[in-house]
Amino acid sequence: MAKSRKYLDPVLLSKLGNMDLVARCAVEGFFAGLHPSPFHGFSVEYSDHRDYQPGDELKFLDWKMYGRSDKLYIKQFQQETNVTIYILLDCSKSMSFSGNGSVSKMDYGCFLAASLSYLMLGQADSVSLVLFGDKIRTRIPPRSRRTHLNAILTALEHNKPSGQTNLADVLHNVADTTNRRGVVILISDLLDDEADIYKGLTHLKYLNHDVIIFQTMDHQELNLDYEGLIQFEDLESKATMRTFPQSLQEAYRKRVAGFVDDIEKSAGRSGIDYCLLDTSEPLDKALMAYLGKRKRLM
Amino acid sequence: MFLLGSFAVAGPLIAHLLAKPRYRRVPFTMLRFLLVGRVESQSRRRFRDLLILLLRCAIIVLIAMLFARPRWLTEIEIDESRPVYYLGLDNSMSMAYSDGSGRYLDELVDSAVEYIRGAEDNGLFSICALGSQEWARDLSKDAALAEVGKLKVTAGTADIDNFVSVLAGARLQEKLERGISVLVLSDFTTNTLEQFADLSEPTIVGQIDCRAIVSPKPVSNAAVTSAHVTGSKDGKLVLNVSVANYGDVEQKRELTAKIGEKSSDVVDIKLPAGQERSYSVTTEIDLEERGTTFLPVELGLSAGDGLEEDDTFYLAISVPQRKSVNVLLVGEEDDTFLLKTAMTALSRMNAYEMVAVRQVSFGRLKSPDLGWADVVVCSAIAAQVGDMGDELESFVATGGKAVFFMTNEPSGEAAKKLWERGMLAALPGRRLQRQTGILPDVSGGKSSVGDNDAAAVKSLSHYRMERIVLTGYFECEQHADSVRTWELDNGLGLVYVKRLGNGTTILVNTSADDSLGALTKSSASVAFCGYLLGRNSEIAEHSFAYGEQAMVPASQMELKFAKDKQFWVQVCDGQTKQGTIRESFLFVPETCGIGWVRTLTKPFRYAGINLPEGETDMRKPTSEVVAGVTKRAFRVQEGEISKAEIFNDKGHKPIWKIFVWIIIAMLLIEPAIANRMKR
Repeated sequence: MAKSRKYLDPVLLSKLGNMDLVARCAVEGFFAGLHPSPFHGFSVEYSDHRDYQPGDELKFLDWKMYGRSDKLYIKQFQQETNVTIYILLDCSKSMSFSGNGSVSKMDYGCFLAASLSYLMLGQADSVSLVLFGDKIRTRIPPRSRRTHLNAILTALEHNKPSGQTNLADVLHNVADTTNRRGVVILISDLLDDEADIYKGLTHLKYLNHDVIIFQTMDHQELNLDYEGLIQFEDLESKATMRTFPQSLQEAYRKRVAGFVDDIEKSAGRSGIDYCLLDTSEPLDKALMAYLGKRKRLM
Repeated sequence: MFLLGSFAVAGPLIAHLLAKPRYRRVPFTMLRFLLVGRVESQSRRRFRDLLILLLRCAIIVLIAMLFARPRWLTEIEIDESRPVYYLGLDNSMSMAYSDGSGRYLDELVDSAVEYIRGAEDNGLFSICALGSQEWARDLSKDAALAEVGKLKVTAGTADIDNFVSVLAGARLQEKLERGISVLVLSDFTTNTLEQFADLSEPTIVGQIDCRAIVSPKPVSNAAVTSAHVTGSKDGKLVLNVSVANYGDVEQKRELTAKIGEKSSDVVDIKLPAGQERSYSVTTEIDLEERGTTFLPVELGLSAGDGLEEDDTFYLAISVPQRKSVNVLLVGEEDDTFLLKTAMTALSRMNAYEMVAVRQVSFGRLKSPDLGWADVVVCSAIAAQVGDMGDELESFVATGGKAVFFMTNEPSGEAAKKLWERGMLAALPGRRLQRQTGILPDVSGGKSSVGDNDAAAVKSLSHYRMERIVLTGYFECEQHADSVRTWELDNGLGLVYVKRLGNGTTILVNTSADDSLGALTKSSASVAFCGYLLGRNSEIAEHSFAYGEQAMVPASQMELKFAKDKQFWVQVCDGQTKQGTIRESFLFVPETCGIGWVRTLTKPFRYAGINLPEGETDMRKPTSEVVAGVTKRAFRVQEGEISKAEIFNDKGHKPIWKIFVWIIIAMLLIEPAIANRMKR
């Protein structure tokens, strides 16, 4: 487990560079750590045997049974449900924040989006990617082909964080433009007006989408572990503030905890899965949350 | 004056006014969560800065005031009702002297008792036994009398320094207006007088009484002051013993050397007063067949004077086994002429009197010759040497030393044969006709070439050779296990040493005969020959004066397990003490009394502990001398010291210690406050 977990370490993944490799390492590393894996056999599940009827496709004949019993049987499979998944990745400037200089929230979000896409396409789900800031910048329509991964990864690699967040508008836009029910995965730091975000999410839920929120936060954002005199400069608004962070640390942590708690409670009330991700933590927490959701859907 | 230092406060004030806080610029995302506490934080920071500034200013002012030596004007309560007495009573070994009517110590005790009885009843007594350095402080009159009654003679000499320094400290601490009454009772031997003379400044006391405890009769005392071994021959040990007559009467005594139960012939001593003479004493000794013999030799004078303790001198000796070394020089006589001369010269020295040198040419070298020899020196690597490879290997492996010099044209085949057997410390290659010198000081021999040879190789490598220019040498391939003991200027080796089995093989990168024979033509040849013949086997003495740290030679076993085991020795009073091993000796931390220190494990090794030389000198000091040293050591408060100077000190309690503690406390508090206020 420990060995496989290293492929889930965001710092290590950031050094790989190639997004395809990142996704492969993260997902395979995740599965390698599970013994026995409860997620095996998602694709085509065996269900039952029935007698052969003329007109049945010969490729479903069970030749081994024929060899043993001299009777013709057809193998039946459980009908696979194809799910459409919309990955919404926040690309505002605030996502470029990296407290310790190694993995930014954007990088972490990209790793997560890539890993989820790799995982989903492996299960024949359709995946759509939406990159947004104050508005939707890139939209890749849902496809279930394995080659679709290339399009997603290319979009992720060429994506640069900029501008401000307008999450509410983006969520309404996505809700209005998706005509098929699916799973909406929102990867964002959610640094926007809480009420507006909630309205957007409610809109999606109203359309019977299953929503998972991955709130990506840097360790410094959660804890404010700075020392000495510091002039903070807001990445989006460019506002500045001079302070001695240690004096504010306690109050800050309380406020951030309250903010996170509010979102989690609001999401819980609406039946939205919420997962807070610290960018210093491995990706398996997010993958586990998604797979749990996927299993419930099946 | 020092208060001007307070102006240094300006430093932090200016720094505070001029300093601008330096902010580190950090991009951030969640500024809205920070904004609430901002105002509060800045006001707190200003308050913290001000508080820290005040604290630092206070520290500077306090330090400046500390240099000014502040005093608190106050009335000191002086306990004038209790006079203080300090008694320095000499219980050194010389106080055991008896003139027939009683010992010096008994007289000292009587005098001290008389003094204490004459003192005021409420007096506070502090008694120092000068010989044993034991203090009894703040005693009542009765307790002081009891303490004096317990005095015993102890080994060693009186320590005046300690008494005087404690006395001076007591005067400063107690601030006694009446001063301290001091009594010193001693026989004022040479050692004691010297210590008084060495005192740098007099101690101020209220009253001083120095009395010399001396016999009214003529002093009768002879002492064995030193003893040394002058030689050993035919199982007999010859000792040179110094006897001094420190008394006023002629001494007719008998001197005997005693080793265990064996005693030497008696030497009659007839020594006029005040003279010192040396006497030769011969005694038989049993030497160990193997290894070193350790002997405790007691040199004793017959009874007949007032101080018996200095009549015996404890001289521990160790006699190494004398070696018989047979040297076989292989080659033409002319080649090894210089080497033979050096060895013959060494053989005439006492330590190597059993050296035998034999010469054979290469053609006549036979196996029995190797059986006879302890050291084989080949003046060249000739073909015949290669043919004798088996015999030579066996010779070295069983403990022999083989030395190979080079010639202009060594036999390549012979060298190859020897190299393959591991017999050569280096393989000679091409000969180079270039000039080079031998480094005068080479620190080679770092790696071990065997337990027995390591020290010899090390000492050899430190031998200073004069600079000799060679006209040629060989490019040698050094064996992995060999050590380069001497080097040439160009980094190549001159002498290579290699351990093989129990023996050693040595290669010298030059010839022994022609002008390249730098080694044998230099004075280093003596060192080199000495190394070949083995360690110098001198008789060692292990005697110490009381107070010195005693040590005995450590055995091979003790050296081997020095870190893992504890080793014990029996000291003079019969107690066992743990020793520590350093270098090649077993050190004894404490020795009690005069006599023998010996190991508890075989071979029993001894160290003799004797009286310090001055302690045996019982010549009576004159009253003028005692008065002179007393005046030099003590100064009575009235008269020479101005009253103003003395009384200035009184009524002012120094408070610098308080300042120091406040400064320390502030320095400790400062970072705590600085950190606390940040929150």
